[in-house]
Amino acid sequence: MKWKPALPLALLLSLILTAAVSAHGVKIEYTIGMSVEIVAAYDTGEPMAGGQVTVYAPDEPSTPWLTGICDEGGRFVFTPDPAKPGTWDVQVRQAGHGDMVHIPIGDNVAVSGSTGYTPLQIVLMGACVVWGFIGTALFFSRRRA
Amino acid sequence: MRKSFATLMILTLLASTVLVGCGGEKGTFQFYANGEDFVRQGFVSKDGWAITFDHVYVTLAEVTAYQSDPPYDPHEGAQVQSRSQASLDGTHTMDLAEGGENAPPILVGEVRDTATGHYNALSWEMVPASGGPAAGYSLVVVGTAEKGGQTVDFTIKIETEYTYTCGEYVGDERKGVLQADGTADAEMTFHFDHVFGDAETPMDDELNIGAVGFEPFAEAAEGGRLDADMAGLQAVLSAGDYQMLVDILPTLGHVGEGHCHSETH
Repeated sequence: MKWKPALPLALLLSLILTAAVSAHGVKIEYTIGMSVEIVAAYDTGEPMAGGQVTVYAPDEPSTPWLTGICDEGGRFVFTPDPAKPGTWDVQVRQAGHGDMVHIPIGDNVAVSGSTGYTPLQIVLMGACVVWGFIGTALFFSRRRA
Repeated sequence: MRKSFATLMILTLLASTVLVGCGGEKGTFQFYANGEDFVRQGFVSKDGWAITFDHVYVTLAEVTAYQSDPPYDPHEGAQVQSRSQASLDGTHTMDLAEGGENAPPILVGEVRDTATGHYNALSWEMVPASGGPAAGYSLVVVGTAEKGGQTVDFTIKIETEYTYTCGEYVGDERKGVLQADGTADAEMTFHFDHVFGDAETPMDDELNIGAVGFEPFAEAAEGGRLDADMAGLQAVLSAGDYQMLVDILPTLGHVGEGHCHSETH
């Protein structure tokens, strides 16, 4: 559901956001619109026609979400799952050359594990802090009584 | 009443301590070094020398994997922004030519009780070994090259230190995703075709254009033998070939096919 409001923004970004990664003879560019289009080429400018593409969704980094092949122009288009906002990783390889590009999609708020605690732990720790305040207040109120 | 209240408070604090102490699931993270089939099986250089390797000693230190957010871009060469990291203690000299032609990558070491998550960046240093067969050198390459009935036994010793900082592994599988009670790994990959070139790659490919090849080393050999460190190579190679070697060595380190930012010390 969060995807729908983000679409106009994504379309706007498609006009202004083009990132490039080049490495070891490979350059991958991507454009975000209704879909994501990547263009992979060697440093010489030659398109990576037939390049092997592997797309990883943010929620399942170890399993390919999609695989495919670049067309004659080194292009590959995919439509991310709107229910999975975050950083989508796309790898393109061919004949020992390869690179990976990281594409932010949707409202990536980067909450996943940055503190190292699970939501349950955060809630319980918060409850402990509140309980501490209450307990302290009760302790001093009893002393006065 | 007061006593039971105090007991409840203590229990609450203990519970929160345990929760925090146990915070984050753990697993084991392993570090591998890989000279690829080029080292294990040998290959033909860009100038037609069939090269086989007896030993390729690399000495690794400060080996660290990171959960980088944002993902590390080696082309920018900035610092890794790490949420969590796993570091391997000590200095390790590994022989990348160890094992047979189909030997797997070599386990350098592992770190237990590592926080789970996706380790998407890796860095390491190549430093001179303090002892053993590679003492004094960060890289020692021992092998034989043959071409047209001519044979050269070579030992090339590199004393220079390098730091490699890399993004994510690029290859057949995705590496670095550590789950609870599981095992994940990262790979330091060394591309020796960058130094000697590869006859199976087009000659106008950047890899071959930037490679020294083996011919300059063969010309520097005496009596079919070459045993030299960087200082010695500077004396026997042409200025252009020596500079090409200096320029290409920092590109040796990769993560699979993924690129690394490197610094020479």
